[in-house]
Amino acid sequence: MFERRLYYHIDWAMLAGILALCAIGLAQIFSATGGFTRIYYTQIYGIVLGLFAMALCLTIDYRSLADKSHWIFLAVLLLLMYVLFFGVVRGGSRRWIDLGVVNLQPSEFAKAALALVLAKFFGDSRRGALRREDLAIAACITAVPLILVARQPDLGTAVTLIPVAFAIAYVAGMPMRIIGVLALAAVLVAPVAWKFALQDYQRGRISTFLDPAQDAKGAGYQQIQARITVGSGGPWGKGFTKGTQGQLRFLPVAHNDFIFSVLAEEQGFAGVLVTLGLYLFVILRALEAARLAKDRVGAYLVLGVLASFTFQVIYNVTMSAGLAPVKGLTLPLMSYGGSSMIATLAAFGLILNVRMRRFTN
Amino acid sequence: MAVTEDRRRITVRLTVLQVGAVMVFAMLGISFWLLQIVQHAKFEEMAENNHQRTLALRAPRGILYDRTGQVLVENRHSFTISIVREHTKDMDRTVQLLSAVAGLDPNDVKAIVARHRSEPTYRPIVVVEDASLAQVAAITARRLDFELPDVVVEEVPTRQYPALAAHLFGYVGEVNDAMVASDNTLRSGDIVGQSGLEKIYNGLLKGEDGAKVVVVNSLGREIRTLDEEPPTEGKRMQLTIDYDVQKAVEDGFKGLAADGIATAGAAVILDPSNGEVLAFTSQPAYDPNAFAAGIDRATWNSLMSDDERPLNDRAIQGRYSPGSTFKMAVALSALEEGVITPDFKVHCTGSANFYGNIFQCWKKGGHGTIDLRHAIEQSCNVFFYTVGNMVGVDKINKWATLLGIGVRSGIDLPNEITGLVPSTEWKRQRMHEKWYPGETISVAIGQGAVSVTPVSMAVYMATLANGGTRVTPHLVKAVDQNDGKGWVPVPTPAPQSKVDINPEKLQAIRDGLWLVVNGAGTGHNAQLKGYDVSGKTGTAQAISLKGGRGRTEKRFQDHGWFVFFAPRDHPQIAGAILAENGLHGANAAIVAKHVMEVFFAKKEGRPLPELKIRGVEGSGVPTDNPNSPPPVATQPPTPPPTVTEATVAAGTR
Repeated sequence: MFERRLYYHIDWAMLAGILALCAIGLAQIFSATGGFTRIYYTQIYGIVLGLFAMALCLTIDYRSLADKSHWIFLAVLLLLMYVLFFGVVRGGSRRWIDLGVVNLQPSEFAKAALALVLAKFFGDSRRGALRREDLAIAACITAVPLILVARQPDLGTAVTLIPVAFAIAYVAGMPMRIIGVLALAAVLVAPVAWKFALQDYQRGRISTFLDPAQDAKGAGYQQIQARITVGSGGPWGKGFTKGTQGQLRFLPVAHNDFIFSVLAEEQGFAGVLVTLGLYLFVILRALEAARLAKDRVGAYLVLGVLASFTFQVIYNVTMSAGLAPVKGLTLPLMSYGGSSMIATLAAFGLILNVRMRRFTN
Repeated sequence: MAVTEDRRRITVRLTVLQVGAVMVFAMLGISFWLLQIVQHAKFEEMAENNHQRTLALRAPRGILYDRTGQVLVENRHSFTISIVREHTKDMDRTVQLLSAVAGLDPNDVKAIVARHRSEPTYRPIVVVEDASLAQVAAITARRLDFELPDVVVEEVPTRQYPALAAHLFGYVGEVNDAMVASDNTLRSGDIVGQSGLEKIYNGLLKGEDGAKVVVVNSLGREIRTLDEEPPTEGKRMQLTIDYDVQKAVEDGFKGLAADGIATAGAAVILDPSNGEVLAFTSQPAYDPNAFAAGIDRATWNSLMSDDERPLNDRAIQGRYSPGSTFKMAVALSALEEGVITPDFKVHCTGSANFYGNIFQCWKKGGHGTIDLRHAIEQSCNVFFYTVGNMVGVDKINKWATLLGIGVRSGIDLPNEITGLVPSTEWKRQRMHEKWYPGETISVAIGQGAVSVTPVSMAVYMATLANGGTRVTPHLVKAVDQNDGKGWVPVPTPAPQSKVDINPEKLQAIRDGLWLVVNGAGTGHNAQLKGYDVSGKTGTAQAISLKGGRGRTEKRFQDHGWFVFFAPRDHPQIAGAILAENGLHGANAAIVAKHVMEVFFAKKEGRPLPELKIRGVEGSGVPTDNPNSPPPVATQPPTPPPTVTEATVAAGTR
C-alpha cells in the first residue's frame, strides 16, 4: 500500500514546520507550567501519538478514506452523542470520553470527519456547476455535528466546523451571489442571535470585549491581562521562563488557551514573527498541496482540514493579544491538549497524504 | 471542458485564499508590532504594577525614657488585619466572611472601607489594629483556603504605654485627612501622635517608614523580595520625668480615690531651679494603649461620655480658682511695691468692711492682730483683704504674672490654656467697664475672676522657690539623634521672665509657708521632718450655676489645692496638687508628702517609701498586657468643674 516512491513525495518542509511549532509549544508549556510536570509529559505523549495518527492517515490512500467517509462521519456522530449522555463533565461542559489513561475529545475529530465527508460530497459531484440543493445538503451535513458539539456546550469548537464547510463550498464553486446573501443574512441575524441564541455569559464576554474596563475583575480581566502580557514582552521578550504575567498566573490557563501570549511575553516580537511565519508557511504549503491535488476530492479535503486549522490559529492568536473576545479555542499544534494535538496531526496526515499521492492513480 | 474550467476556478479561488491568508497574517504581525513595540513601555509598566508591590514598613516610634534611663514608653509587635481591595472580587462577601471569622461588626468594617475608598486599591486598609492571636489564626487559616485572598495580616510595631502619665505621653492614631492635606510628609494611614508628647514631638518620634518591594502572584501572595529599605526607628528621648516620683503622684491619687476623697485632679512637680518636670498627671486617666491599638467605638464613646472627662488634661487645660494659694502673690506684690514691710500687721476681728460691704474671714471671732508670716500660716482673709486693697488689682496682676499665674507656662505640651488674673485693663477690654476697688477685695484671696491651671501653680511655687525666675516647665532632657553621638542634652529653655525679689521680703513669705506645714497651719499633712517643707493649702468651693451649693453632693464639694516646695531655704522640688472636689487642701497635702518622701529618698539612696493609704495598689510599671483596663473611676460621675464661668469660689481659707 505504501509504495517506496511515495516516501519521496512527502512534504518534508511542511512536516518540519509542523514539528517546529510543536516544539515551540512544548517549550512554552514547560515554561508556563513550571518544568517537567505531568502536563508537559502528557503533551509529549500527545505529540507522539499524533505522529502515529499522522502516519496512519498517511498510509491509507485518502481516496479510500473518502469512500468510507460516511462511515467515519457516522462513527464520530455516535461518539458525539455518546459524549452528550455519558461524557466527563469538566468546567461546566461535557466534552470528554474517559478512556482511563486519557480523555478523548471527539469534537476535535469531528472537523476532519466533516472535511472528509464534504470533500467526498462535492468532489464526487459530476455536475459542473454547484446547485443550491447541494449547498443545502452540505449545510445539513454540517449542522448535525455542529449542533451536537454546541450542545456540550462547546460553542468555540462548534464554530470551527463552519469554516470547513465554507472553504470547501467556496472552492467547489459556491456562487459569489450566495456568499453575499449569506453575509447579509449574518449581519441581519446577529442582533436576533444576540438576544435569543446567546447565553448571558456569552453576551457578557462579547460586551466585555468591546469595553474590557467595565468588568476588569471578571471577563475583561483576561483580556486586559492578555494585552499586558503581550505588550510587556517588547521586541525581544523577557526571556525563557522569565515572563512575570504567565509565571505569576496573572493570565489564566497560560499553557492552554493563552500559550501564544506566554510566547509573546517571553520571546518578544521576534518570537512572535518566527512563530507566525511558521504557521503561515505551513498554511501556504497546505494550500499548495490543494493546488497540486490530482483530484477535486483531494483539493477539497485539504481545504476543509486547513480551514478549521487556519480559523483556529487566527482566532487564538488574535485572542492571545487581547484583540478578540476570550473563547475557549486552543492554538493548534502549540496549546496543551492531547486530543487536539492528535486530531491536528492526523489532519495534517491527510494533507500530506493528498500531496504525496498527487502522481498516483 | 468542464474539468479545465473546474481547475481554473479552483486555482483562482485558491489564490484568493492564499492572498487572504498572507494578508491576515500580516495584520496579525502589525497588531503585535503595535502592542509589543509601539505600546511596549505602557504595558511593561502595567505588568510591573501587576506583580510588584511596594509595601510600607512601619517605623517603630522613638522610645521614651525617664531621667534615670528607665523605659517609659516602648514598642511591641502587634498584628494588623487589612483588606487589599485590589484582590477583592466581592466586597460584601469579604466583609461578611471577615467579620464572621474575626468577630467584628460588619457595619464597622464597611465604614472603615468606605472611609478609605479613594485610596489606591493596592494599599491595605487596616480593619483591625492589634489583632488577637485567635483572630490572626482564624484569618490565616482562611487565607490558606483561598477564601480570603484579599485579606492580609501584617506584623507592625505598636506603642506600649505604662499605666501612668497618660496625658503626658498622649496617644497615637491614624492621621486624619486634614493633617494629610496640610503636611506633605504624611500619608493617609500613617500613625501619628494625636496628643501629649506624642503630638508635640511627633517629628522626632515617628521615624522613617521603610519600604519593601516584593513580587506577588495573581492571588497577591508574596513570592520574593526584590528590594528592602528597612525603617528607621524614631529618635529616642530622655524625659525629665522621674519614674518613681511620677508613680508616687499617681499612687497618691489612687489613695485619694480609694479613700473616697477625690477621683479627679492634677499634679505638676518641678525642679524649681530649671523647670524640669519631675511628674505630671491628670486624673482620671485613660489607657493610651487603647488608642495605639486602634480604639474601638465602645471605648471611645465611653471616654467621650464620661462626665469626669478623662481625655481632658486638667494639668494644662483645667481652670480652677486658686483660693488661698493666691495669697503669696498678693503678699509679694505688696512687699515688692513697698506698700507693706514684712512686719506689717492687721487686726482681724472675723470680718471687715470695705466700700460698704462686709467681707468675712473664715475664722469666726477673727485672728486678732496678725503679721504677714502668721497671716499666711493662718490664711487670714482680713489681712489679705486689707493688703490687697492697699496694693490695687493692677499691681497684684503684675506680680502674679511675674510669678507665673494667669499666663501660659510654656510647657512643651499641646493645647495649654491660660488662666486669668484680672486687671483694670482686662475689665475695660472684656466688659467695657471700669474696675471697682471693691472687686479687688475678692481677688486678694484668690476669688472672683482669678483662675489658674495646675501647671501655672507649679511654676508659681518654683518661682517663689528660686527667687524670681519664672522657669519654663519642660519635659525633654536629652535626645538621641541616631547619628552615633548618643544622648545629646536638650538645652534648658529660657525662663519666661526673671525678676530679682528682695531676699528678705521673700523670706517672710517662705517663713509663712513653712509655718503652714510645720506650725499651726493647715498643711501639716505634708510635714516631713528634716526637709522644711513649705506649702500652702487652698480650698475653693465649686458652685454649679444650675444647682445651688451644698456639701451633700460630691460634685459640689470643694476643690483642694496644695502647692509647695522643699526644703525652704534651698528648694529642690516644687509643685502643685489639685484634688477636684477634694474638700480641703489638706487632702492634697497627703499626696504631696508622699511625693516628697519618694523624691528625697531616691535622691539620698534610701529605699522608697510605700504610700500607706488603704487600697493603693503598688504597681505602675509598664505591663505586658496592652489591654489592661484604664483606671476606673470609683466615684459617681461629677460634671466638669473646670470652666471659670461655671465655678465660683467663695469662703477660702
